[in-house]
Amino acid sequence: MKPLQGLRVIDLTQAMAAPFCTMNLADMGAEVIKVEAPGEGESMRQLGRAQKNGHSGTFMTMNRNKRSLAVDLKQPEGVELIRRLAKTADVFVQNYRPGVAGRLGVDFESLQKINSRLVYCAISGFGNTGPYAPRGGYDLIAQGMSGVISVTGEENGPPAKAGIPLADLAAGLFGAYGILAALEHRERTGEGQLVDTSLLEAAMALTVWESSEYWLTGGVPKPMGSAHRLGAPYQALRAADGYFTVGAGSDKLFAAFCGVLGLSNRKFEKRKDRMANRPALIAEIEKITVTKSRAAWLAALEKAGVPAGPINNYAEALADPHTLAREMVVDLQHPGAGAIKALGVPVKLSETPGAVERAAPLLGEHTAEILKELCYSETEERALRAKGVVQ
Amino acid sequence: MVSPAKTAPGAATKGALEGLRVIDQTQVMAGPFCSMLLADLGADVIKVEPREGEHTRQERQIAPGVSASFLAVNRNKRGMAIDLKKKEGIEILKRLAATADVLVENYRPGVAQRLGVDYGTLREINPKLIYCSISGFGQTGPYASRGGFDLIAQGMSGIMSATGSEGGAPVKVGVPITDLGAGLFAVFGILCAVRARRLTGRGQFVDTSLFEAGLALSAWEATEYWYTGDLPKPLGTAHRLSAPYQAFRASDGTFTVGAGNNKLWGLFAGLLGLEGLLQDERFKKPKDRLQNRAALEKLIEEITSRKPRAHWLERCEAAGIPAGPIYSIPEALADPQAQARGMTQEYDYPGVGRVRTLGNPVKMSRSPARLYKAPPALGEDNEALLSSLGYSEEEILELKEKNVIP
Repeated sequence: MKPLQGLRVIDLTQAMAAPFCTMNLADMGAEVIKVEAPGEGESMRQLGRAQKNGHSGTFMTMNRNKRSLAVDLKQPEGVELIRRLAKTADVFVQNYRPGVAGRLGVDFESLQKINSRLVYCAISGFGNTGPYAPRGGYDLIAQGMSGVISVTGEENGPPAKAGIPLADLAAGLFGAYGILAALEHRERTGEGQLVDTSLLEAAMALTVWESSEYWLTGGVPKPMGSAHRLGAPYQALRAADGYFTVGAGSDKLFAAFCGVLGLSNRKFEKRKDRMANRPALIAEIEKITVTKSRAAWLAALEKAGVPAGPINNYAEALADPHTLAREMVVDLQHPGAGAIKALGVPVKLSETPGAVERAAPLLGEHTAEILKELCYSETEERALRAKGVVQ
Repeated sequence: MVSPAKTAPGAATKGALEGLRVIDQTQVMAGPFCSMLLADLGADVIKVEPREGEHTRQERQIAPGVSASFLAVNRNKRGMAIDLKKKEGIEILKRLAATADVLVENYRPGVAQRLGVDYGTLREINPKLIYCSISGFGQTGPYASRGGFDLIAQGMSGIMSATGSEGGAPVKVGVPITDLGAGLFAVFGILCAVRARRLTGRGQFVDTSLFEAGLALSAWEATEYWYTGDLPKPLGTAHRLSAPYQAFRASDGTFTVGAGNNKLWGLFAGLLGLEGLLQDERFKKPKDRLQNRAALEKLIEEITSRKPRAHWLERCEAAGIPAGPIYSIPEALADPQAQARGMTQEYDYPGVGRVRTLGNPVKMSRSPARLYKAPPALGEDNEALLSSLGYSEEEILELKEKNVIP
């Protein structure tokens, strides 16, 4: 049994943020129906170099464990189909620009009339309200406008964003949080509701520490490379053969770190002295760390209980024994792409664990079975197919 | 919190998670962020601290017993201070656990066992309890016993290898993304377990980590590597799969533009007066632009660097091209959209005065997130909670005398 078993989710989403939201729900057992346009399907199916036998890796990554229904929402029969589906659903997720769902007739107000228990989640660039609501927004724009870029990168270096699309991914996770909470509310009251979040708000919510620092101390947080705003040493350090990370910002861990290095810590015994003289501190430390290899330091630091680690590239990270022990890499079979790899479920539930069991669907792979579930007759199905309403 | 989404008349005001009691035995960032998200939606979160308080209270204090880091992630919670190294302290925690739905902790694996407040022990007392552990690497696997910070997890999960400038020094994501990601996955896991409990009648153990959160947030980069064999590298602000999608220099700073697809690229080139490039073989298709990104960037910046950011942003908006400023934290917070979405909230904190805090990023129409309580003073709710657990006044006094509580 999976925790979200029995939950039906209609997924009218594209690209990254919202598909990631519904993917997490699907991993936990929700029945997610991905609705795509006939013909080419969602745009991600066409995107990019990451392909296998003509199937987009990016699409497959975000849409595993889902079923696919190909339906044309520009035809009235298509909208009718979605409305029939919405009557049977618990959750509806879309990431259109605000206004588009209304034009299509699948906005919150319309669907709530036919299913008052529906939890309707909209994930957009800036949210459904406010002056920028109609604008399109991408991860990059949200990273820039939330302040995330302003605190990322080398000191005095060119702007750098988080290398991962964190505004997209966080918006997806905040969406999942809002949906599950809204389902709890529904358990008590019987009513569905609108859950509305955005890339901008998600990215801002991730500046929780930096905004608090600014508000309470007045200092404007700046990029610090790999270093920490409040503790040192807590950053990447140079070894003979490259960099490794060490987090020894507390007085206790710093003392242990000095023990490993054979460094006298008298000058820098107190956290505030280390912070005030960080460049000098790091210079003294690196004088020693450059004399040995990363592996040598990491082994010694592990023995001393000082948190430290390599800076892995993705080949290393995905092959790391701990990654494998935690089942973070899963093998799947895709009907077109063959054997593929996927990331596992990062949160482990002991009794009702989630799982990655099914590769992403082919376009319209489940159209027939979903039509049958909605009691469309074979004659009706043929007519819909002939008109290009479904595929 | 006031939600900009319309709140229907008669809507519930207590929050979607009203009635869920959460024991929050967490410190620093990942765990407190997780329980704060539950508290924002009305869960009764009781933060249990050591007698001297969690150590972020002491870091760069702005008033006695309180710091910016502490205030950032502990709103809407009640507070208890208990010495869990004393058996009387453990007894309090056990009695509290008997009344709770959820417990969240972020000790290093093994510490909860030593204290006698591990899942196995508490499940005996309360089989419906959902027990969530957030650690550096998770409860199993070769690195389970290691301490892990955000920096370590960013390095080991691959995130640092894809962040920063090409050929530059190692850079991490400036916000503690694996802490916050682990907090979010923990919330997700807890709410899944709450739902499962309706079906099974039982609680369970929920186990996540900074390291796994870092990997899960690398979905795109892992895919890139698995499908192409290429290792994702730091690209500054640029995109792995499309161009132009990055920051560009204006005469007075930088701004971002996302115009990677052919349609948006056509509009952007037109706006810059670079229509000629649309026929240029180097930039015709998305993959051509990606391949010749450096050349494209140079040609674009020759134009953008002549006028200020505001000029370009206005024109991009008029043309419908996603674009935006690169804000500092204060600029981001002051932006009209952030204000309209209620992203700044305020409360009073004794000894500090008016304190601002971020709004919840999720707007719910019928059970909105709210700010209803300032972060707790150390042990603020000790007496109220102890008497609700059946401790008499004499017993409470005795606990104080024995230094179990402050």
